[in-house]
Amino acid sequence: MESAPSRSTVEKFSRGEAITVGVERIEKELAALWQAASRGEDGSESQPISRAALWNLVIPARGIDSLSRVKRLVDELAPALPARVITLCRGWGHALAGISATIESNVVSRPGGARLVFAEEITLTGEGAAADERHFGALVRSLQIPSLPTATLWFDASPADSLLSNELLPVSDRLVIDTGRCVGARELGAVCRLGAINRVEIGDLGWLRLAGFRLLFAGLFDPPVGGGPLAMASHIEIEHRGPKIASALLLAAWLGVQLGWRPLDAAPGFDKGTGIRLRFASTSKGSDGRERSVAVDLKPSPGECGTSGIVSLSLDAGGPGETYRVRRTADNHAELTVPIAPPRTVKLDSRSDAELCVGALGPAGHDPLLRRVLPFAERLADLVAARGAG
Amino acid sequence: MTTLAMPTTLPNPLREGLAAERIPEPATMVIFGASGDLTKRKLLPALYSLTRERMLPGRFAVIGYARRAMSDDAFRNEMRAGCEEFARRRPVDPGVWEGFAPNLFYQAGEYDDPRAFVALRERLEQIERTLGLPGNRVFYLSIPPSSFATVVRNLGVSGLVPPPSGPAPASFSRVIIEKPFGTDLATAQRLNHDIHETLTEKQIYRIDHYLGKETVQNLLVFRFANGIFEPVWNNRYVDHVQITGAETVGVEGRGGYFEQAGILRDMVQNHLFQVVSLAAMEPPVALDADGVRDEKLKVLKALRPMPSSEIDAHVVRAQYAAGSIAGRAVPGYREESGVSPTSQTETFVALKFFIDSWRWMGVPFFLRSAKRMPKRVTEIAIHFKEAPRLLFGRRGGEGVRPNVLSIRIQPDEGISLNFGSKLPGQAMEVAPVTMEFRYGSSFGVEPPEAYERLILDCLLGDGTLFTRADEVEASWTWVSKIHEHWHAKAITQAAAGAVEPLPTYAAGSWGPEASDQLIGAGGRHWRRP
Repeated sequence: MESAPSRSTVEKFSRGEAITVGVERIEKELAALWQAASRGEDGSESQPISRAALWNLVIPARGIDSLSRVKRLVDELAPALPARVITLCRGWGHALAGISATIESNVVSRPGGARLVFAEEITLTGEGAAADERHFGALVRSLQIPSLPTATLWFDASPADSLLSNELLPVSDRLVIDTGRCVGARELGAVCRLGAINRVEIGDLGWLRLAGFRLLFAGLFDPPVGGGPLAMASHIEIEHRGPKIASALLLAAWLGVQLGWRPLDAAPGFDKGTGIRLRFASTSKGSDGRERSVAVDLKPSPGECGTSGIVSLSLDAGGPGETYRVRRTADNHAELTVPIAPPRTVKLDSRSDAELCVGALGPAGHDPLLRRVLPFAERLADLVAARGAG
Repeated sequence: MTTLAMPTTLPNPLREGLAAERIPEPATMVIFGASGDLTKRKLLPALYSLTRERMLPGRFAVIGYARRAMSDDAFRNEMRAGCEEFARRRPVDPGVWEGFAPNLFYQAGEYDDPRAFVALRERLEQIERTLGLPGNRVFYLSIPPSSFATVVRNLGVSGLVPPPSGPAPASFSRVIIEKPFGTDLATAQRLNHDIHETLTEKQIYRIDHYLGKETVQNLLVFRFANGIFEPVWNNRYVDHVQITGAETVGVEGRGGYFEQAGILRDMVQNHLFQVVSLAAMEPPVALDADGVRDEKLKVLKALRPMPSSEIDAHVVRAQYAAGSIAGRAVPGYREESGVSPTSQTETFVALKFFIDSWRWMGVPFFLRSAKRMPKRVTEIAIHFKEAPRLLFGRRGGEGVRPNVLSIRIQPDEGISLNFGSKLPGQAMEVAPVTMEFRYGSSFGVEPPEAYERLILDCLLGDGTLFTRADEVEASWTWVSKIHEHWHAKAITQAAAGAVEPLPTYAAGSWGPEASDQLIGAGGRHWRRP
């Protein structure tokens, strides 16, 4: 007969502390602990608990620092997204006899003290031979809650990893990446290649961080302005926080996709050797009937950039004062400039990584536009990397 | 600053693919009745929340219009106080308010003075020029119903909205009309006729804030996105349906209004019949405004007419007497300010009705709505028929109950399903258990306020969650018969000098005994929500 968990173990579990268990006993221990945690002080079933979960979340980490970041993210996610979280940690630094496991609860207290949201977190740690991707893969498959979708949150900037491709993607319904963690063009190109995986839906935290800029810039061309200035644009400038060029390339890719541009070349060294000029062929013809080109300058800037890495995005429509610009200002605001109205300041998006994850696991996690933008960004990243910049 | 002169505005290609973000085009909202309670408690807080959530376009302005003279700054201060008190997320974010407040304006004027509307148009055009707004306009009528037709007529006369017969304009003009939309069938028909002289039906957004509630919308998802419920959603499996719309509040200083309205007009004809129609409708051919509203209309048209001779047997009405709510004594309805001591206005109504469609033939619907009930709750509960053979009748079968699916609309929105389960142990004993889904705990996010959703839908031109003219008239057609019967009865009693006072129920109770008798035939009883 199975022995019931000790009172101190149940209390630790209820407080959300990690409890070490054998990997083969994870499900049994979790079930026993939830049952025990549901009982009142006198052992009666006075506090029934729902183990709420909307997703199986698989989050690989590499090393103790990365694991700490993942743990913080999971704690922040819990109030908004009940889930079974399976964290996989490799690169621990010292050899382990096998894969070790801990389980913990994520309990969210509501105003008034009621504990309403319950989710659970399983952490699997391995090193050396024990961290063989096949072991992790098999454990993930055994621990997925049936009938719930599974998302892999892959925040590694070097995605050419067989754990992801061989073990996790085949059991995932959604892949969440973060192009915002990329610094240079090569990293961005590598992460964007994941966009070619068609069998899972894909969400990108970096793309969501740019949502505020994209929406505000798009709004500049709403009626009565319309798309005229965009069709006639010959020069666009994106100021980014150097040396993080990846977000600027993703933003340029969005413009390229939306405006039907074709990438021509990338010329590093613009702006006293620090900037990059991308050239595109536009779909609209010039007055001479020839194909028009559009220059997009990516300029490093020390300005305010929030979490998106973008300081400003501006389009010069040619005439004096014909500037359309979104510029980030202090305190997470942006100033909007259009020729037909006085400048206006609005609050910008400032979602935490956890909030962005919730977004990426919602409808924003299957944005068809992102599917088109990622390969375009990959081409831009390759152009820039080939010229030895970024 | 330059002025852009573009005869034809090219489409904005950057908007493509952003549809999921549901950001409307730049626009101006004019609120008639801007000095009233609704503006301060609901409308401005909703607009502020939408701004905070970045759901409004970068260029957006609000003009408050009311009789009271007030400066722009005074209006902004008043609205800030309203947002501080009533916005979904408080305190107000100073950064958001800084960007929002400069786009709030105020214009004083009468509702029946065409010159005041010309002045409003001039002010609006000047604001649109200054802020680079394209002429998209939403007019929100948060005013006494007696002024609806006058204001709409003046919108047309002053050129604030283009004539309905003219060429299609590049910008949109829409009008949101608050309830009540008419007081009976005749007044609703007259109002529809009057406003259609200025507006097309597509420009009219009759608001019913119940339709903006998350769970009401979830009724559509629950029924039509899940394969397991629709097959049992009919007279073969459903025994009866209960709808409860209970409030703990009394008339809250609105005795004068409520005396004219009564709970049947105030809650049933609009809010609760909308809930009934969503719960009972057939799957729409498309999830667009007319697709959904066509099906809702069929339900309202299928309400079985109640002959005058049956009304007393199928409709229970009552008034609350003094009692206790939340541990404090409260007065009876007739003692409330603005209420006649001989009032015959109902604060409680319970109805039994049928929907004569293939799906619902023979299934009774029981609906009750009242003020001063023990708790505030709105829910719809589907009571399923018992299993055809009760195997557990003799051994521990006391716990066997028919299954009930209840959809809680407010508060604590969610869905629960009751079913029987074997009690752990050697014996075959059955206990009812409940499986619950709660928005608050499952998604961990607060749903938006109904007004946020509805204002945004109107700005986006989506009328799905608004009521169409024919829906309003169909529900009045049915409800007005009851009012006509009550009216005729009152005249007869007065002529005979024997006016029967309405039955009463103690404030804080679930209503008069007669309502238990209404549902009681067949062993049914009201749920304790």
